[in-house]
Amino acid sequence: MAETAVDTVPGTDDPAATRSGLWGVITFWGLHAWVLAYCGVVLSAFYIQFAMGEFPCPLCMLQRYGMFLSSLGALFVIMQARRGELTTARYAQGLGMGLIGVLAGASVSVRQILLHIKPGDEGYGDPVLGIHLYTWAFITFAIVMIYVGVALMLMPRGIPHAPAAGSALHKVSTAIVWIFIGVVAANVIAIIFLEGFAPVLPDDPASYNLIDQLTGH
Amino acid sequence: MILLLVIALLVWRGANRGVVIALWIVGVVAMVGLFRYHVTSVLDLSF
Repeated sequence: MAETAVDTVPGTDDPAATRSGLWGVITFWGLHAWVLAYCGVVLSAFYIQFAMGEFPCPLCMLQRYGMFLSSLGALFVIMQARRGELTTARYAQGLGMGLIGVLAGASVSVRQILLHIKPGDEGYGDPVLGIHLYTWAFITFAIVMIYVGVALMLMPRGIPHAPAAGSALHKVSTAIVWIFIGVVAANVIAIIFLEGFAPVLPDDPASYNLIDQLTGH
Repeated sequence: MILLLVIALLVWRGANRGVVIALWIVGVVAMVGLFRYHVTSVLDLSF
């Protein structure tokens, strides 16, 4: 009932009134940038994992989990906008999901930063551009928090506006959505290889449990 | 992580909003549970 009341606030339930021009386009593609950026971060982590042979610890994996959780909020809004079903209330729900996701991820990052904050501690894994991956993760979570804050400030003017179905931009949007789904699926496979038949990741992984278990090592 | 993949596919297919949000909340609870499971030591922050 309460949600209906929010959905029917004059000026916010009418798609034409809320999806105004440039701001709607900017926020629509801003959400894609959010999803695509986290795909890039996780693909970079895959490179470090597979090409450089560094195994992700459980906290690293939980940070990826936070990135995906927050991206699902963005994906939720993107798909609602593409179907023409997005209202102010649904946009707020998606942004809320994104914000809680980054808060969860940032909590894990902070925990890992504090684990290695003492002078003389070299940290976990090799730094990238002088900063460890968990610190980079925290920076990305903070950027998304700022993005969500700005998006909320723009409401209801900045309700995302999707390009017409069948247009080139619509296809770009579809491609980004499928890249995200592919990256999540790849992460599922990576976790299965890391965990093997165990229910959770080992605390300090040094090999792929599934391969070890199947080959008897 | 499989749950997150399922949620992503449901969002793509336009599943009921309540189902998506409910599963997403389960995902958050699972993350908190995994965090509690893996974080067992007290931070030693005495410098």
